[in-house]
Amino acid sequence: MEGEMMTGNLAAAWGARLVDVDYVPAFPITPQTEIVEALAKWCESGAMAARFVTMDSEHSMMTAAGAAAATGARVFTATSSQGLLYALEVLYSVSGWRAPLVLVNVSRALAAPITLEPDHNDVLAARDCGFLQIHAETCQEVLDSILMAYRIAEDERVMLPVIVNLDGFYLSFTREPVIMPDPEQVKRFLPPFRPAHLGFKASSPHALGVAVLSGTPYSYFRHQMHLAAINALDVHREAAAAFEQLFGRRYDVVEGYRLDDAEDVLVMTNAFASKGKVAVDVARAEGKRVGLLRLRMIRPWPADAIRHALQGRRAVAVLDQNLSPGQGGILFQEVAACLYHEALRPRALCSFIGGLGGKNLSEGELRAIFEQTAEAGVQGKGIGPVLLYTEAEHREMVQLQVLAGGLKS
Amino acid sequence: MRAVRFHGRGGQGAKTASRILGTAAFLEGFVAQDSPIYGAERRGAPVAAFTRIAKDPIRERGVIVHPDLVVIADASLVQDPAARVLDGIDERTAVFVNTSLTAEQCQAQTSLPGRLTTLDLTDIALQQFGKRGAISALLGAVAGRLAGLHRESMSGAIARELADLGLAVPVIEHNQTIALQCYDAVRTVPLETGAAQPAASAQLQVPSYEPPTRGTARISAAANSILRETGGWRTFRPVLVPDKCNGCWLCFAYCPDGVISMTKDDRPVIDYAHCKGCQICVHECPTEALVAEREQEGAVAWKAK
Repeated sequence: MEGEMMTGNLAAAWGARLVDVDYVPAFPITPQTEIVEALAKWCESGAMAARFVTMDSEHSMMTAAGAAAATGARVFTATSSQGLLYALEVLYSVSGWRAPLVLVNVSRALAAPITLEPDHNDVLAARDCGFLQIHAETCQEVLDSILMAYRIAEDERVMLPVIVNLDGFYLSFTREPVIMPDPEQVKRFLPPFRPAHLGFKASSPHALGVAVLSGTPYSYFRHQMHLAAINALDVHREAAAAFEQLFGRRYDVVEGYRLDDAEDVLVMTNAFASKGKVAVDVARAEGKRVGLLRLRMIRPWPADAIRHALQGRRAVAVLDQNLSPGQGGILFQEVAACLYHEALRPRALCSFIGGLGGKNLSEGELRAIFEQTAEAGVQGKGIGPVLLYTEAEHREMVQLQVLAGGLKS
Repeated sequence: MRAVRFHGRGGQGAKTASRILGTAAFLEGFVAQDSPIYGAERRGAPVAAFTRIAKDPIRERGVIVHPDLVVIADASLVQDPAARVLDGIDERTAVFVNTSLTAEQCQAQTSLPGRLTTLDLTDIALQQFGKRGAISALLGAVAGRLAGLHRESMSGAIARELADLGLAVPVIEHNQTIALQCYDAVRTVPLETGAAQPAASAQLQVPSYEPPTRGTARISAAANSILRETGGWRTFRPVLVPDKCNGCWLCFAYCPDGVISMTKDDRPVIDYAHCKGCQICVHECPTEALVAEREQEGAVAWKAK
């Protein structure tokens, strides 16, 4: 077997090391800690030339990261969950400065109640901040996506920061074989960072992120960010082609799995998509025509690619590993919106919520999704949001409530 | 695919053992995947780790619901419902238990289903390393033998993983030697892979609205931590030698779990149902009136309710 056994966290750290970042401001949080530990060790030993600084919080960390990127430095940092939310205010500033750093988020569900295991309410809370978002399925994809993220972010047509997301536990602490890209090839893939609009020098003063105090310039500059994000779709395509040529692995904005003749399609993201693919194989072996569409790029939203993959299907199910209380699955809304004008739109759209707080996504749950989706397709009527929660889990929950409340069951 | 689930207590090395197995399989040319699961890490608390070994890329992730092989680093975990050792085990599952009991004795005492095999790794570790926790290499080697991996790959994997933890070369070599002795000594049992039937469709039951007294994450039951007995976390128990005790109350003051109470004549009484065996009282006692005694299986004070 090629490569070496590596956790998603270590793969993320290697991504930063391979692109030869200049600066790493850091603040540890479970389950991201191994990333900053590895980078701290490498910076200390001289294996990396970067300056590593531990900050007092994620808010300071992102401020330092953005400020350093504004001087023209290549910057990497990483956080998770509450840390990402604490940094959220600064994320909007950094993207407004058009400072193209890369931030790794290791997904972990948000408090309260508090937990350590993943869902995507953390990273999707940063959906609208102007950072691009790439969500990875494997440890290899974590590393490769960081290389691609810098190339896309630093392109003059984009110049926006990027979040690369990986699931806590399911990738962060999971080791699997990862092929290490050759550092010389990485240099060919990623040219040196020379932004025209950034960089502070003596005798060349400029101000960044200035006050505009009027809607006309404000609208103009925010819209520029939107156009830059849309440009990232083309830039991603170019980066994917160049990456494939150098490293032999291909990543597109969405990934279709056994879609060719699929009647019903399950839409997923991140590490659980692997389990979804297994479920597709199981269903296919039983003669069901099902397939999977994995969304890899969440911002910019790859509407055309999604439309193309889902048009003409009988039914589409979106499995959201997040929950917007009072609304439902976040990605379901976006998938539904981009299908509205599609003449051949699926007969039924189904919304499922699963894996909240890292709850296991079982084979039986995936089977239930395919069954309910097929039925919805036959009826021509969508369903949801349906929370994936089994009778057995319900009984377990009642036991916990009894213990916590001192109540009779 | 071979699916191996490890159960241990924080500090015993179940995670490292799962990595040793994964690396050994990888060195033999297999695709491997290993991952641990734990909450807020504590020494002695139940932890689990998973290793998958296959010829093709592995797309399963997270918990192993139907293991082909279960490796239990601490026999007391079998009785602890929170450890979920019994989940998905049937009569075809290969099960290794680190215990002084024979497989037959262990089966009779624990009513564990599956094809059992045992070895007293804790005793070997105590004799060889003088430490109770250091059994990761031994567990990994035993798991490797039962999973059908080669001796050489186990040895190589132990070297890599222990070096990764920063252990010195002589310590690593000592571990390799003893681990390979365990590899040779463990009685093998047949390993049946992929025996699990495809799962049926899950019976979903979407929760309905409940008043906030039940619908919010709050605990109103007073002092319910007493329900969670943690005595099974011990490998050693502190035992009082009454003649040596000077009644200074230091053990009472230092106990991090509040399981030591004092009698009217200033003698400590230890709540063995909840003492986790951290030995802080043994270390702090100025007169050596508290001594550590190894727990004997079948005679533990702790038992599941």
